[in-house]
Amino acid sequence: MKYTLKTTDANGHPLTAPIDSARREGAAYAPRTIETLRCDDHLRAVLRGEKHLLFDGGMGTMLQAAGMKAGALPELLNFSDPDVITDIQRQYVEAGCDVITSNTFGANAHKLNGAASVEDVFASAVVCARAAGARYVAGDIGPIGALLRPLGTMSFDEAYLLFKEEVEAGVKAGVDLFIIETMTDLAETKAAVLAAKENSDLPIFATMTFEEDGRTFLGTSPEIAAITLDALGADVVGINCSQGPADLRPFAKRMLDVTDKPVLVQANAGLPHVDDEGNTVFDIAAPEYAHAVAEMIEDGVGVVGGCCGTTPDHMRLLKQLIEGHTPQLRHHDPSMYVTSAQSCVTLPVAGHRIAVIGERINPTGKKRLQQALRDGDLDYVVSQGISQQEQGADILDVNVGLPEIDEVKMIQAACEQLQGSTLLPLQIDSTDPTAVEAATRRYAGKPIINSVNGKRQIMDEILPIVAHYGTNVIGLALDEDGIAETAEKRFAIAERIVDECERYGIARDRILIDCLVMTASTNQAQVIEILRAVRMVKERLGVKCALGVSNVSFGLPARPLLGSTFLAAAFGAGLDAPIMNPGSARFMDAVRAYRVINAEDEGSVDYIGRYAEWTDPYRIAADPALALAPGTAAVPTAAADSPANEDPIARLVISGRKGEIAATTKELLKTIPAMQLINDHFIPALDEVGVLFDQGKFFLPQLMASAEAARVGFDTIKAAMPAGEIADKGKICVATVKGDIHDIGKNIVKMLLDNYGYTVFDLGRDVDPQAVLDAVRERDIKLVGLSALMTTTVTSMEETIRLLHAEVPGVKIIVGGAVLTPEYAKQIGADYYAKDAAESARIAEEVFGG
Amino acid sequence: MDLPASFATPALYRPNISARPRVDRAEMLRYLGYGGQEIDLDLERRIVRCVEELELSIEPKGVRRTFCVDASGTDDDGMPCIQLVGSEIVLTGRDIYRHLKDAAFCTVLACTLGMDCERKLRTLASQQALDAALFDAACSSYIEASVEQMDRDVRTQAANVGLSANWRFSPGYGDCPLSAQPSILAALNASRLLGLTATTTNLLMPTKSVTAFIGLFDGPVHDANTRPTCNICRLRPSCAFRARGKTCYGEKTR
Repeated sequence: MKYTLKTTDANGHPLTAPIDSARREGAAYAPRTIETLRCDDHLRAVLRGEKHLLFDGGMGTMLQAAGMKAGALPELLNFSDPDVITDIQRQYVEAGCDVITSNTFGANAHKLNGAASVEDVFASAVVCARAAGARYVAGDIGPIGALLRPLGTMSFDEAYLLFKEEVEAGVKAGVDLFIIETMTDLAETKAAVLAAKENSDLPIFATMTFEEDGRTFLGTSPEIAAITLDALGADVVGINCSQGPADLRPFAKRMLDVTDKPVLVQANAGLPHVDDEGNTVFDIAAPEYAHAVAEMIEDGVGVVGGCCGTTPDHMRLLKQLIEGHTPQLRHHDPSMYVTSAQSCVTLPVAGHRIAVIGERINPTGKKRLQQALRDGDLDYVVSQGISQQEQGADILDVNVGLPEIDEVKMIQAACEQLQGSTLLPLQIDSTDPTAVEAATRRYAGKPIINSVNGKRQIMDEILPIVAHYGTNVIGLALDEDGIAETAEKRFAIAERIVDECERYGIARDRILIDCLVMTASTNQAQVIEILRAVRMVKERLGVKCALGVSNVSFGLPARPLLGSTFLAAAFGAGLDAPIMNPGSARFMDAVRAYRVINAEDEGSVDYIGRYAEWTDPYRIAADPALALAPGTAAVPTAAADSPANEDPIARLVISGRKGEIAATTKELLKTIPAMQLINDHFIPALDEVGVLFDQGKFFLPQLMASAEAARVGFDTIKAAMPAGEIADKGKICVATVKGDIHDIGKNIVKMLLDNYGYTVFDLGRDVDPQAVLDAVRERDIKLVGLSALMTTTVTSMEETIRLLHAEVPGVKIIVGGAVLTPEYAKQIGADYYAKDAAESARIAEEVFGG
Repeated sequence: MDLPASFATPALYRPNISARPRVDRAEMLRYLGYGGQEIDLDLERRIVRCVEELELSIEPKGVRRTFCVDASGTDDDGMPCIQLVGSEIVLTGRDIYRHLKDAAFCTVLACTLGMDCERKLRTLASQQALDAALFDAACSSYIEASVEQMDRDVRTQAANVGLSANWRFSPGYGDCPLSAQPSILAALNASRLLGLTATTTNLLMPTKSVTAFIGLFDGPVHDANTRPTCNICRLRPSCAFRARGKTCYGEKTR
């Protein structure tokens, strides 16, 4: 019985969490396996790695050789010149190719841009391929041609819908399998693989394209591609285009080392050049090409074919290579892999390696993060990710659950932004299955889901998500009866979780068990039981172990001492993934030291690099002469190096010296009330900077350095004051309008307004008019700043203004951007025009009454 | 006139580290609105660090391809337009028509600082506004210098076969629409070769990217010295450089 998944609603909008929705409607999840695919026995044997398969070679280059214009849509030839297409494909069939790729590489609605319908292109393309006598027709799916968020502007869901349309067209046209190829963006590839998996029961082949440096344009390596696409359910993974077969061989080997799935390689025939007769030819001839492919087949590559510049001659020789040959038996050592689009954490099943999971993105007990989440301030969330990356975390846990926020939306936004600015794989942490799936579905990588436990309901909710998206999962050793007291009972729960995972096809190399740390001050006897449970779980179940270590010391003094000692003991028991604060030097010291003992830090290189110049803190404490080296502890005081009559705040703000301002502010707070310090010192200083900027005595970086310094001062004041003590000057939201991606100007305005004490909500770039209106309503905003840099995007600025004025008449709008003039601003209905950031601060003073 | 054999194959631009262009510091500062202010040591250090990191870590990449020019056609509105033979590129507007109508060939080029640079820009923008502004300005100068290198290569290559070249013209200059971008990227295979794409509003992505046209002439160029001026610039009425009596290309206003 086929498991069909509904992925869109009645209006064709993508569902946030289709697996979770299906479960709520009572559907039992049926994992996709080779047996459930619609294909013949031969193809099934290929997917099992028992038989070779030969794809065809280049199509685009053959068409160009036949006179197609550069940049023309080759897909339209299916209608205008079907014979040309069929003729090329027939040559490939005659050369011995098993699979003919449909001429649909760019047949997505974005690229076709109305020139033809996706369905018609697939239908005509499959007719051509069938006419050529193809044994199998592969529905070809190439990149959309637009960059996905967070770096680009297209959403994952938009990409998914484009691919879904192609998959449905391919199924209808009668393709035998899908080949998703020439991909460079892991997120986009994931959207395509999911679209194929969720809207068809055909085999999925997926390849990505790597540059000479072994990375795609977006930084994905062959290992990451193979691991992630394998996990998502691609049946064959591989590499195509960019370079010749000899160059791609090492990349293919790297894939073979991390997956059991068959690997496909379709290399180019080198680089093009023009011969004496004016024909474009590629420089790797068929024999040389076949020789290099033969080596890859020796390595274990099972499926071969060609890409740019390859011809039926090349394929004919490949046919000879695989004729009567059986693919190499392959085996790779299983490991737990956790990936982002740019990095991979590997925990071998047979060995012991440590991966630090950073716990700081979790609002529990963190006021500043709670406030940032309420304000939608994702920049702060990202800063927490960046700092943990710098401190040595290997994986980032992301938990944004707060009662008053929309967690499903927030976790998606947070994961998206983190992927734009950090490289580490994420651990998606929520108790809401919808939030878990929403984030997991759109995540470019193989994350960890945190968490399931032994409760029947939780396993039923979470494990289908783990299975469908091929993720790793943490299982907490507790169940309906709570946390068990003995190691044996914890082990029993862990075993139940592992068994249940097995039913979903979730192998042990994807499971981490958290044996749950108890507090030594209240459950002292249990601490040793935890370590015993870790040992049992590791030895008897062969899964990995995670632990949130910091709880152990709760209620006792010198918590880092107890915590790091426990951490070392837990490593000894077999702990793989501590969930901890990498900002704690004490904990990280224990991690780095253990990596030496564990022979993980080869030659102790990292350890020596870090600690060669280390000063032993115990020695300092014991030697009072060292404790206070002269000069090191001196706190710079406000009056130290300035004339008595000069305002030290003004001096530091105007000269943009943020290094000293925190100490000076603290000092002044002892004698001057906070509000007075702001109004009589900081604001006049910023005003003076504004004047200097206007007069041309300061240029932009100096204005910004002053703003930076003021920010440090404000933060110092805020930290010292009880919440609510400092008057809110007013709320402003800023945005770069829909269609525009230039946001440097908007960011400068934001920074300045922020430092004048306004609460600024930054909606980002490419912001829909409706999203601006929503924010204005939700946050009760009185002033909106809009930025547009292009003549072409001023129209969407005008549209946003019109919407705001119609729906929220009292709200004032400032506009700015390179193409605007005061007259133009007036013409499109703006209330104010700001020629620069300093001007926008003055306008804000005016709007909010100074 | 047929395309000379040396121009027949698309040429990649991938300078190795020793051949990479340098950020033009004066230009970078100009983008930041510099007008001779005194730069203190702290800011100086930040500028130097930013430029060093950029030059060391980011490799510009480009591709160029040359087509025969056909200036005999008209666009949908019946206005004369430029077609690049053997491609789907059709260029509309008076300014590009004037630029290429007498040219025998046109070299189309695309250049980008790539996705690592874009990621760095995004990260700084969310975390460090000042460093983001510095890095952004440095990138603008760096991509300009990269395109300038490609431009010089075209001139040298042209001179070798007795052709001369005029200055490079980009979509968005004058009345040449940005809507030409997708056809340029397609004709150069720039998405595959450089990872370059366009948004639905035809802005290039990664953002620090440039596409341009250089006209190649049989014999001397009659408007070889006709440098781009403010006269064809859309930003002219609102230009902050002009307000200070300067231009973005570093010369006095004309």
